[in-house]
Amino acid sequence: MEGRMKKIATTSILITVALLGITSYLALAVAPTEATMGDVQRIFYYHVPSAWVAGVCFFINFLASVWYLIKRTNGSDAIAAASAEVGVVFCSVVLITGPIWARPVWGIWWTWDARLTTTLVLWLIYVSYLMLRRFAAGGQSQVMAAVLGIFGFVDVPIVYMSIRWFRTQHPSPVMGGGANSGLAAPMLHVFLFNLAAFTVLGLFFVWLRYKMELAQQELESAHAQAALKGVA
Amino acid sequence: MNSIAFLKAAYIVTWLVYLGYLARILLGMKKVAAEREELERTTARGAATLRRPAS
Repeated sequence: MEGRMKKIATTSILITVALLGITSYLALAVAPTEATMGDVQRIFYYHVPSAWVAGVCFFINFLASVWYLIKRTNGSDAIAAASAEVGVVFCSVVLITGPIWARPVWGIWWTWDARLTTTLVLWLIYVSYLMLRRFAAGGQSQVMAAVLGIFGFVDVPIVYMSIRWFRTQHPSPVMGGGANSGLAAPMLHVFLFNLAAFTVLGLFFVWLRYKMELAQQELESAHAQAALKGVA
Repeated sequence: MNSIAFLKAAYIVTWLVYLGYLARILLGMKKVAAEREELERTTARGAATLRRPAS
């Protein structure tokens, strides 16, 4: 068991460092410097892929929550828990790197515009989801979490559309935002690579966290069985 | 602060958050595995005590 854990840990650290290392190298050394903002625009190559992965994780949470309410399987509940937690981590990075980028470009750390506010609300919804799972007593906490996961997901399309529906301080969509949107080819290549790499990293975290959640559930059921037999 | 300092800060924070989260998962897995082993040991000891005939 000890040897297997060491192998998992070493492989996981290598995968994470490799993905972060390659994406950093591409963003900092390969991508061209943006004409208006200069080097600080390179935050874009971490900020946007992190937001994308958070959205993907919350979508997985939504699907797993629906599945849990239909089938009540431990696996779907474990996927829901894992994807919500990883989504919160990636959303936290968005909320940290956003203000760090905003300060030199806008002159302020934060403004209550539609994109920033709905993203903060999204983060709060899933933090409350995790707190509900952790602290709610009784046997219905998984059902309540699934319901919250389904309703909470409503905010994801609102976050995505907020820069199209409202006039915001946050820039308009870089891609798919009309005639003047888009990236130069060298920037686009780095961006797409980082998007793919961050997606792999996010799904890898979800998988690891899912394995941990399943092991935790098995441990709890083993504890309950041992208590019933009166041997532990 | 110049813009390079903001750029560095954003990348360092991102690395720290992701590596910190990975460390949290791995430590959690290790803890669960250790608890599982401990429970199996306790259960085996308890079962042996239950099987022992009263003298």
